[in-house]
Amino acid sequence: MAAVAPGSGASREEEGTGGDATTPQPPAPTSAPGARLSRLPLARVKALVKADPDVTLAGQEAIFILARAAELFVETIAKDAYCCAQQGKRKTLQRRDLDNAIEAVDEFAFLEGTLD
Amino acid sequence: MAERPEDLNLPNAVITRIIKEALPDGVNISKEARSAISRAASVFVLYATSCANNFAMKGKRKTLNASDVLSAMEEMEFQRFVTPLKEALEAYRREQKGKKEASEQKKKDRDKKTDSEEQDKSRDEDNDEDEERLEEEEQNEEEEVDN
Repeated sequence: MAAVAPGSGASREEEGTGGDATTPQPPAPTSAPGARLSRLPLARVKALVKADPDVTLAGQEAIFILARAAELFVETIAKDAYCCAQQGKRKTLQRRDLDNAIEAVDEFAFLEGTLD
Repeated sequence: MAERPEDLNLPNAVITRIIKEALPDGVNISKEARSAISRAASVFVLYATSCANNFAMKGKRKTLNASDVLSAMEEMEFQRFVTPLKEALEAYRREQKGKKEASEQKKKDRDKKTDSEEQDKSRDEDNDEDEERLEEEEQNEEEEVDN
């Protein structure tokens, strides 16, 4: 006996009606964090690592972890910068929010003077 | 024509996606802020590499490994990254192991087929007959119990 799932045949009214929304469709459904192992291309990260004259060789695992760490870093600094923007009641992150975050957060001290 | 290491940027599209997913819906980011974050990420990788390399040299190794990078994170006061990075490393290792095993298995299968194809055929037929007999006996027993 074939079971018919309720609502499976019903057409979705939200999508495809040519509505007012002009925003492009979202690229993909958000998966759980960590489901994709890394988004940054390992080749580019490897190029950065090799740019250091003192580094002889780097293992594949090391490159992978550096890529993942860079992603975490981007998330972290974006969130910290957003806190500053929120205080200014703005919805767009500006360069100055980033500068403020760098000054305010100790861990970002290494960035001072490097972004100019 | 020396290129500064900071000029080795990570792809803009990926950086933008990471930022957007980290922030609540509806929040935008200016182009200048985005490119500054991208440059910051590059500087981060360079700094982490340098730190990790120190650990490798301390261990008298010439190759950077994963634990060097993890030690560098702690040194740079990014301890909060260590746990998620360890988890990611485990997943990565499992994936690599799976890939390796899959390719090794394929190779084995290929070798088996080419070497002893005929021998396996006759052996398999004998085994099948024995198994069928056993199964029939078991089924009979079960039926009696039910009745």
